[in-house]
Amino acid sequence: MLTLTSPVETWAHRLPAGGKLAVVAVGTTALFLVGSPWLLGGALAGTALLYLTGGVAFSGSALRQLWPLWPFVLIVGLWHIWTAEVAQGAAILLRMVSAVALANFVTMTTRLSDMLGVFERIAKPLSPILPPRRLALAFALVIRFIPVMLDRMGLIRQSWTARSPRAPRWRIMVPATLAALDDADRVAEALRARGGAG
Amino acid sequence: MSDLSPGIELSSVRVTLGGRPVLDGLSLRLTEARIGVLGRNGSGKTTLLRLIAGLIAPDAGTVRVNGADPFTDRKAALALLGILFQNPDHQILFPTVEEELAFGLRQQGASALEADKRVAALLRTEGRAHWAKAPVTSLSQGQRHYLCLLSVLLMQPETVLLDEPLAGLDLPTQARLARRFAALPQRLITITHDPANLVGADRVIWLEAGRIVADAPPTEVLPAFTAEMARIGERDADADLAG
Repeated sequence: MLTLTSPVETWAHRLPAGGKLAVVAVGTTALFLVGSPWLLGGALAGTALLYLTGGVAFSGSALRQLWPLWPFVLIVGLWHIWTAEVAQGAAILLRMVSAVALANFVTMTTRLSDMLGVFERIAKPLSPILPPRRLALAFALVIRFIPVMLDRMGLIRQSWTARSPRAPRWRIMVPATLAALDDADRVAEALRARGGAG
Repeated sequence: MSDLSPGIELSSVRVTLGGRPVLDGLSLRLTEARIGVLGRNGSGKTTLLRLIAGLIAPDAGTVRVNGADPFTDRKAALALLGILFQNPDHQILFPTVEEELAFGLRQQGASALEADKRVAALLRTEGRAHWAKAPVTSLSQGQRHYLCLLSVLLMQPETVLLDEPLAGLDLPTQARLARRFAALPQRLITITHDPANLVGADRVIWLEAGRIVADAPPTEVLPAFTAEMARIGERDADADLAG
């Protein structure tokens, strides 16, 4: 399930999306300009504090969202221990985790439609080629339909397994693609029924 | 319930899909408040609904809703018609409840602020304010149906088209939705294969192979339909292929 915005209402939910994204952009740039592991450690501690102001439940779900980073931490860490460049490795890891955590903080505290509003404003110069409303709608549809398509693939896999002793693996790709195209037709219809993509 | 003006008019409508006529020379004037379209699978009833909703254009003939062509005049169609699809996952376009609800309003020209306000007000009156931020994937099947209904009602159409609105729902959810439908001030056009859903209708149209078999009050149509379905069921009727 793709639940990016946290249902725990924090102070940061009330800040404008554009401002938050700007802070992330500036903050991430700063992280790359700073080389000292001590300063970067401070940045990570600051980010952790930022999460804690949202409460324990909020921080817990943030940790779960950041957990998939561990293989990268492991590989980069091991590599730098191997090459005996521990300080440099620490700097890279602290920088990476802080940057991702900072971006994740904005994701968790910003409604999708507000985020899309920012994209619409930024994409305005492109409007003769790419209407911003359409771009924003495309973003929303992707986020909405990834879980639907994963469910659909799960069902196809189950129907396969119910009638075959072999694992389906790549063989579900064709039915899954066709199902996705079929679903796309229905969604296009639903979109038309409520005013179209314009 | 009295008739709602001025209604939906189809004249000599024909729709072919993949070379096969699905609706064949159909003419109807729909003005009643509660209309049922009854038919078997493949009778053309879903196509009829999509035709009225302006989602497809007829190959021949005309469709008019209060004088407007719902396929070409989408702006008028949005104000006049809402459609509830059978599968809510084919209808819900946005990841959260409030965004899903706000979409139709934005499409009708409301500002983001105005749309948010109306969504919040609706959820409050429905006793579902806590749904606002919920991801749609966390809703049960029945709740998703309800969300689809709310997003259609928010657009304040004059007529709501319902495609098998109670299929696949558990009995308490069916009862609750049916009660909700019955209380709506809108004209309802319900398509279904189940005569039990149309007992309270003002008018029932029985469709078979794209043509009207009967068009009368439910007390006349429903018993005849049930008897015919039982008779077909006796034969090995589902061995026939369409087309």
